[in-house]
Amino acid sequence: MLITQLKAKETIASLIDGKKVFVINCHGCKEVHFPEKEAVELQKELEAAGKLTGAITTDYICNPDNMKLRLEKHMSEIEAADVVLVLSCGVGVQTIAEYLEEKKVCAACDTYPMPGFQGVTPLEYNCDQCGECYLNLTGGICPITACSKSLVNGQCGGSKNGKCEVDSNMECGWERIYRRLKQLGRLDVLKCPTQIRNYATDEEVSK
Amino acid sequence: MQNRVICFLFFLQSAEAEKIQKTDKQQVCESIYKEGEQLENYTKYKLKSSDELTSLLADKDNLFIIACNKCFKEFETTDEPDCGEFEKIVADQGKTVTGSAKVDFLCNKIQTEKKLQDMIPEGTENVFVISCGLGIQTVADLAGKPVYAASNSLNYTGHHGMALTKKSCDACAQCYLNITGGVCPIVDCSKSLVNGQCGGAKNGKCEVDSNKDCAWEKIYKRLEKQGRLEEFLNQPVQMRDYSKVNFKVINDYVKSIRENRLDGYYGGVHPSERKEFSEHLPLERFPDPETVVIPLSMHAGAPANPVVQVGDTVKVGQKIGEAAAFISSPIHSSVSGTVTAIEMHGHATRGECMSVVIKSDGKNTLHESVKPHKDLDSLTPEEIVDIVREAGIVGMGGAGFPTSVKLKPPKPIDTILLNGCECEPLLTADHRVMLEFADDVIFGLKAIIKTVGAEKGLIVIEDNKPDAIELMQAKTADISEIDVVVAKTKYPQGAEKMLIKRVMGRQVPRGGLPADVGCVVSNISTTKAISDAIRKGMPLVERVVTVTGERLKKPGNYIVKIGTNTKDLIDYCGGVTGDDITIKAGGPMMGFVLSDVNVPIMKGSNGIIVVDTDHTVEQPCIKCGRCVDVCPMELSPLYFAKYADEQKWQEMKDMNVMDCVECRSCEYICSSKIPLVSKIKAGKNAVRGMK
Repeated sequence: MLITQLKAKETIASLIDGKKVFVINCHGCKEVHFPEKEAVELQKELEAAGKLTGAITTDYICNPDNMKLRLEKHMSEIEAADVVLVLSCGVGVQTIAEYLEEKKVCAACDTYPMPGFQGVTPLEYNCDQCGECYLNLTGGICPITACSKSLVNGQCGGSKNGKCEVDSNMECGWERIYRRLKQLGRLDVLKCPTQIRNYATDEEVSK
Repeated sequence: MQNRVICFLFFLQSAEAEKIQKTDKQQVCESIYKEGEQLENYTKYKLKSSDELTSLLADKDNLFIIACNKCFKEFETTDEPDCGEFEKIVADQGKTVTGSAKVDFLCNKIQTEKKLQDMIPEGTENVFVISCGLGIQTVADLAGKPVYAASNSLNYTGHHGMALTKKSCDACAQCYLNITGGVCPIVDCSKSLVNGQCGGAKNGKCEVDSNKDCAWEKIYKRLEKQGRLEEFLNQPVQMRDYSKVNFKVINDYVKSIRENRLDGYYGGVHPSERKEFSEHLPLERFPDPETVVIPLSMHAGAPANPVVQVGDTVKVGQKIGEAAAFISSPIHSSVSGTVTAIEMHGHATRGECMSVVIKSDGKNTLHESVKPHKDLDSLTPEEIVDIVREAGIVGMGGAGFPTSVKLKPPKPIDTILLNGCECEPLLTADHRVMLEFADDVIFGLKAIIKTVGAEKGLIVIEDNKPDAIELMQAKTADISEIDVVVAKTKYPQGAEKMLIKRVMGRQVPRGGLPADVGCVVSNISTTKAISDAIRKGMPLVERVVTVTGERLKKPGNYIVKIGTNTKDLIDYCGGVTGDDITIKAGGPMMGFVLSDVNVPIMKGSNGIIVVDTDHTVEQPCIKCGRCVDVCPMELSPLYFAKYADEQKWQEMKDMNVMDCVECRSCEYICSSKIPLVSKIKAGKNAVRGMK
């Protein structure tokens, strides 16, 4: 589940470079985001220029089994194309690229990071999956995501009128934490020893 | 992303520590599928160490424990072990536990808020949550008591795909796949190099991890195969933008889509509308059929009893079937001609049904009973109900509930909702009726308002039909009791419970009817039929049908006589293209698949669609939670699939399967393509049989 945005028109034009194109739209995460209007426009233009050998709209192309079943009946259209243009997140593009190994498979979208929302239907909270939950020391407000600087030992001192110095539209995470702890009568937890974040737990599992 | 760099350096320094961490996580991430299959367990949290928990618990007592049932893993209905493990640690400490609860998708704030009401008993001082950080924060926000994390979240950076395969994307916002033949250099190269290999690979293996193939070698090979080496080598040097994305930007974005999605009522989906095939096409009268086959059951309740015999001559509007019960409806002839048979015949939704076959004489002679009634002012509510019943009017949105019964609600009604949403993709029948029969629709609405003694009539139209909105607003501008409500498009807004929630903010109680909250919902075509019955005396013998779909040659909106053969309709529309097609009676979401098109158009046939067949196979549920996120009735469809497979009907009943409106949103969104609705239907049948 990722936010995708169509690449710039010129970039896509250079990818296609006047060649014949087969387009695959992935609507799997459409309830989160998919640039549907722009995608339709792009396909109309390609069709008008006589460059489109075919187009399908499907979902969850990151699931290789069902993706293969759905592409099967379009194989001749895919073969007739010089480029397979995929409108999906990076996972989808890679899945297609591996399946159509001999074809030039291109990503028409850039995938934007949604830190803290990996794989989950988007909900209100952020979690950076730091592997060493700090919520017990912060009244249940995450300092990694609520503070621009992900500070774990208190405010940086740069906030003005409760607003973050990095983004003045954002509330200072540590001020929120302070207020929540005060409300809960637990300001004493601020006296706990300094926390050192272990960045080594952050990674590598997926590899 | 800066973290990643730091992490990498740290990794080199403390390979030992990393190894320990990795083993820990690998246990959780263990493949749950046999070799060769790629489904992995991405469970996102793990209980904190018992040492840490012991010190955390030291000064706390009277605990309530909430555990999340985990997501993104194989779906089992057995309990997760974490809660039991934690309870054991707590017991060893001699602490008092006031209770515990296991919750699905704890991070789903709306559902969790409802579940939390009355969950935490009096006397609880501290709440411990076993969940990922999302769930813990949700509870911390809602509980009003000190909330503690008993678990740490685990990081599976890059695993965004819904299918839980091994493919990763780091969401770098500068997709490099176009220059690397579709192999991602960010995740597949240990060093995330974007301009070629580091030179450290030996025999094609990475120098950081000798079990791993060098990504750049993979990229080179693939590009070589595709003859794209030249193109690659001519690429300018790539510079990666490491700028950090502010969490608030993401949060604001997520909030906005959340608000957008939940507008009016929980859940719902936005399938591609594809109404452009037919929304602009004016209604056309379908050529008179030579023969009609009129089923005696086109409504909810008992089939009608035939009142004609083979050889009888009938006229248009003549009653040929009599209502057989209170919940039933009479049937009328749509042509003038001769009854040639009364026999079993193919039926779009029931397989087979007793039907009256009439050969048309082509004259369309009206029956004597077809004459206008008194004007609306002089008719009493009882008279209107009689007219509607005798005209055989039933809900034309598909359900076919007798309208006359709806017009005599058991409770006082203040508002009539005229359902002009037509939220089904592809269908445009109601849209065209609103545009071309606006006066009839408004007349019908006035009749309903009068019949049930309501104060107000609201015509609800989705914002994807601006022309209908404009026309209806103009036509009703000087009618004080009728207003037009514009609703943001979302499926299944046309389902009556959703419509009432969206427009009136009222919640129809579980197992209840719209009348319980003072509403009656009527379909557009039905309302027009009421007008025809009063003003022309014409029973329900024809309706508007949208014939459309990407595989139909000539889509259109037709006024079709009831009993017309579906095959004739499709042939008239130029037939179909290709052979791998699916034909449905109704829309793509709630329609019935027609394996045989030799079935008649009925009172509830709002559309015939010809679309591409979707080839998928059911795969194991991965607990992505999307079905729960979209279910407008706030149910947990994933359990229905599980229980139906295990034939656990009582459990299905306990999870409120009977509340399901079969809108198919869950099946539409399912990332494993599980045929949820047919499993739900099986469950409903079994539950009905239990009584």
